[in-house]
Amino acid sequence: MNKKTSKWKQLMAIRGMGAALTAFVGLIIIYVAFGLIKPQVFSTRNMLNLLRSMSKYLLIGVGQSYLLITGNIDLSIGSVVAMSAMTSATLMCAGVPVPVALLVALACCLLVGVINGILVGKFQLPPFIATMGTMFVARGVAYMVNNNRNTNAISSGIGKEAADSFQNFFYYGSTLGVYNTFWIALIIFLVFFFLLSKTRTGRHIYAIGSNADAAKLSGVSVVATVTKAYLVSAFCACVVGFILCAQAGMGNMEAGNVYEMYGVAAGVIGGVSPLGGTGLLLGTFAGAAVWQTLENGLSMIGAPVGIQRIVIGIIVVAAVLLDIVFRRGIGGRKAPAKKEK
Amino acid sequence: MNEIIVSMQGISKSFPGVKALDNVQFELRSGEVMALLGENGAGKSTLMKILSGVYTRDGGTMEIFGKSYGDLTPKLAQQVGVAIIHQELNMCRHLTVAENMFLGREKYKGFMLDNAAMEAEAARVLGELKIDIDPRQVVGDLPVSKQQMVEIAKALSTNARVLIMDEPTSALTSREIDDLFRIIRQLRAEGCGIVYISHRLEELAHIVDRVTIMRDGQYITRMNFADTNLDEIIAYMVGREIKEKFPRVTCEKGKKVLEVRHLNAGRMVRDVSFDLYEGEIVGFAGLMGAGRTETTRAIFGVDPKEGGEIVLDGKNVVINGPQDAIRAGIVLAPEDRKKDGLCTKLSIRHNIALPNLDLLCNCLGVVSRQKEDAMCDRAVENLKIKTPDVDVDAGNLSGGNQQKVVVGKWLARDSRVVIFDEPTRGIDVAAKVEIYNLMNQLKQQGIAVMFVSSEMPEVMGIADRIVVMCDGRITGEVMAKETTQNEILTLATRFENKFANG
Repeated sequence: MNKKTSKWKQLMAIRGMGAALTAFVGLIIIYVAFGLIKPQVFSTRNMLNLLRSMSKYLLIGVGQSYLLITGNIDLSIGSVVAMSAMTSATLMCAGVPVPVALLVALACCLLVGVINGILVGKFQLPPFIATMGTMFVARGVAYMVNNNRNTNAISSGIGKEAADSFQNFFYYGSTLGVYNTFWIALIIFLVFFFLLSKTRTGRHIYAIGSNADAAKLSGVSVVATVTKAYLVSAFCACVVGFILCAQAGMGNMEAGNVYEMYGVAAGVIGGVSPLGGTGLLLGTFAGAAVWQTLENGLSMIGAPVGIQRIVIGIIVVAAVLLDIVFRRGIGGRKAPAKKEK
Repeated sequence: MNEIIVSMQGISKSFPGVKALDNVQFELRSGEVMALLGENGAGKSTLMKILSGVYTRDGGTMEIFGKSYGDLTPKLAQQVGVAIIHQELNMCRHLTVAENMFLGREKYKGFMLDNAAMEAEAARVLGELKIDIDPRQVVGDLPVSKQQMVEIAKALSTNARVLIMDEPTSALTSREIDDLFRIIRQLRAEGCGIVYISHRLEELAHIVDRVTIMRDGQYITRMNFADTNLDEIIAYMVGREIKEKFPRVTCEKGKKVLEVRHLNAGRMVRDVSFDLYEGEIVGFAGLMGAGRTETTRAIFGVDPKEGGEIVLDGKNVVINGPQDAIRAGIVLAPEDRKKDGLCTKLSIRHNIALPNLDLLCNCLGVVSRQKEDAMCDRAVENLKIKTPDVDVDAGNLSGGNQQKVVVGKWLARDSRVVIFDEPTRGIDVAAKVEIYNLMNQLKQQGIAVMFVSSEMPEVMGIADRIVVMCDGRITGEVMAKETTQNEILTLATRFENKFANG
C-alpha cells in the first residue's frame, strides 16, 4: 500500500502529469458518453477507424507541442502537409519511384523547418510572423508543383501495384489488426516522446520555453534547439502529408488546411502550456484522441458539422481556462507566496 | 595562493550611443574577495559580463590563470572556471533544482539523461554548502532567496575558481546573508577568487579583502579594504563627498491621514491595524516574507481583502481595485520597478501620463499634449530625472532614474498617502539620497508616507516611527529615535507559537 502511494506520488510529481491524466479522464468520459447514446461507437470497426483518424492529429499535435513547449508556435504545419502531399504525388505521377518521391518531399519539408528555425532562433523574428510567412510560401509551393492543379491518381505514373502498396503502407493496410497509419503515428510519437523526456535536446527545449535567457547563459544553443523543434514539426507534417496522399491516392492542394491549429488544440487540451516550459506529449496524445472522439461521436449521433466546430472550440478554451483557474484560483488571484522558514 | 588569476587591461566596450567601458583595468588574486564598487551605470556589470563571456569586448587584453583569451562565450568561460551569478535571477522556473544546475552540461547514461546521477551530484554540492533544498524540487516553487542559493550552487557545481557575484544579497534576509558569507569565506579559504558587486557598503567589512572602484565606465582606483574607510570609498564612487547618508528633516506631526483597521488579506496580512499622520514617515520593517508587501498591495487594492476598514481623512473609503485607491488619493510605488512599476517599453512621457489620463484628457477622451508636456516637464524637473528628453524608453534609464519616474507619475496628482515599497533596492548611494530627499519633501507637504524597507539602517535613518511585521502580523511599533536594531530584530522574529504547549 505504502509503496503504491509513493509510486503514485512519483508519477504525479512529473510536471504536467496532472493535466495529461485529466485529459485522459476527459477522453474516457466523452467516449463512454457517446457510446451510451449510440452503442455503435463502441464497435471494433469504429474504434479502429477512430485510431486511424486520430493519427494525423496525433502527429500534428506532437510537432506543434514541441514548439509550444519552447514558447513558440509553428503556423506553417498545414501548408507543409499540403506541400508534402503535392510534391510526393506529383513526382509519383511522373513515374518517380515511391521511396525517391517521398525522400524529395521530406527534404523540402525539412527545409521549411530549417528556415523557420533560423528565422525564429537566430534572427529572433516573432514566431507568429516568421511561420506565417513560411505558411504562405509553403502553400504557394504546393500550388505551384503541379501548375495550380491537383494531381491525377498516382497509379497513372507509378502503376497500380506500386500505388496500392504505397496506399496500403500508409493508410489502407493493417498490421496485427490495427491500421498501419496508427502504428506509424505511434512509433513516431514514441521516438519523439523519448527525445523530449530523456535526452539533452528535450531538456533544452523545456529550458528555453521556461527562460530563454537563463538557458543561453547556461551554454544552451537556442538557435540549434529551436531549429530542432521546427524540424520535428516539419517532419511530422511531412508524414501527415504522405498519409493524406495515400488516403486520396492523389495530391490535393488544399490538404492540411488549418491543421496547425488542430495541433495547438491537441497540445493545449492535453495540458501543454502555450506560454512554454511545461507539457507532456502524453497529454498531446490524450488531446488528439479527445479531438477525434468528439468529431467521431458528434457525427455518429448526427450532429451537424457546425455544432462539431462549436463544441470543439469551447472545449479548447475550457481546457486552458480550467488550467488557469486551478493554478491561480478563481478570479485570477496570484498564488500565495511560499512561506519561508 | 595569492597569485594573480585574472588580469584585464585596457578593456573598452561600447553600446549603441554609450561608451560603457573606457580603458578599464581589473585584477583578481586567488583566495581573496574583491569588491567591485561604483554607482549604477559605472560599468561594473558590463565588465563582469565580459569576463564571463556574456559580452565581447571591443578592445583590451584579458588573462585568466595566466592564459590570454580572445572572445569568450558563456560556455567557454565556464570551462575556464569563471562563473557568474547574475543580478536578475536566471533560473528556469519550470525545471527542478538539479535540472537547472546541470542545464547545458547534462550527464548521460547510454542514450538517456542520467537524472539520478545529476540529482546525487546536486545534493552533494548543496550539502557541502549546507543548503537545505531538495534537488528534485521545482525552482518556481522556491522562495526567491532559495533560488539565489541554487544559483550559487549551480555556479559552484561547475568547479568554478573565479566566482562573480552581482548583488547577491539584495533579495536575502540577514540570516541568509550570514549563510552566504559563510559560503564565501569557505570558498576563499579553498583558494577561489571572488568578485563581489554590491550596493550595500555596510556588508563589505564582513568579507572583503580589496576593493576596485569604477565611475562612469572608467577605472578609478584599487586599494586594500583595511587601509580605507567607507567615506573614502563613497567619495571615490560618487566623485564628491556625500555629507549625509540619511538626510532627516523634522516636521510638526499633523492630523491623522490614514487609518487602517483590522485589515485581513490572505495568510500574509492578518489583522493589520495602523495609522499614518501628516508630517511623518512611517517605516515598515521586517524579514523577507513578513507580509509588508502584501499589506501595501491589499491597501492599494491589487489583492482582494477579506476584511478590514480603511479610513482616509476621517472618511471610510471602499477600495476594490487600484483605480479606487488612486481616486481616493492613495498611491503605491511597488517593489519590483520593472515588473509592477513601469511599462519599460513605453516612454517616460507615457509612463507618467498613464495613471493621470483622467486629468489630461478632455471630455472626448483625447489626450491634451500641452497638459501632458507640462506634467512631464514638471516631474523631470522636480525629481531631477536624468534624461535627454521625456520620449526615452523608461527601460533604458538607470535604476535610480526609473524609480524617480515611478514616483513622478504619482506626484502629478494630489495624493494623500504615498506608499513606497523598497524604493532604494538596487540603486546607488547618490540616487538613494535623492529618493530620501523626495520622501522628506512629501513629508513637509503634509503627505503621509509609508516606507517599506528591508534595510535596517535606512529605516532607522529616515522613518520617524517604525512598524515591525512578522509573519503577516504587526508585532510592534517603535519610535526611530528611541529604538535599536536589536529591538527591531527581536520584534521582526516574534513568530507565533504554532505548537500549543510547546
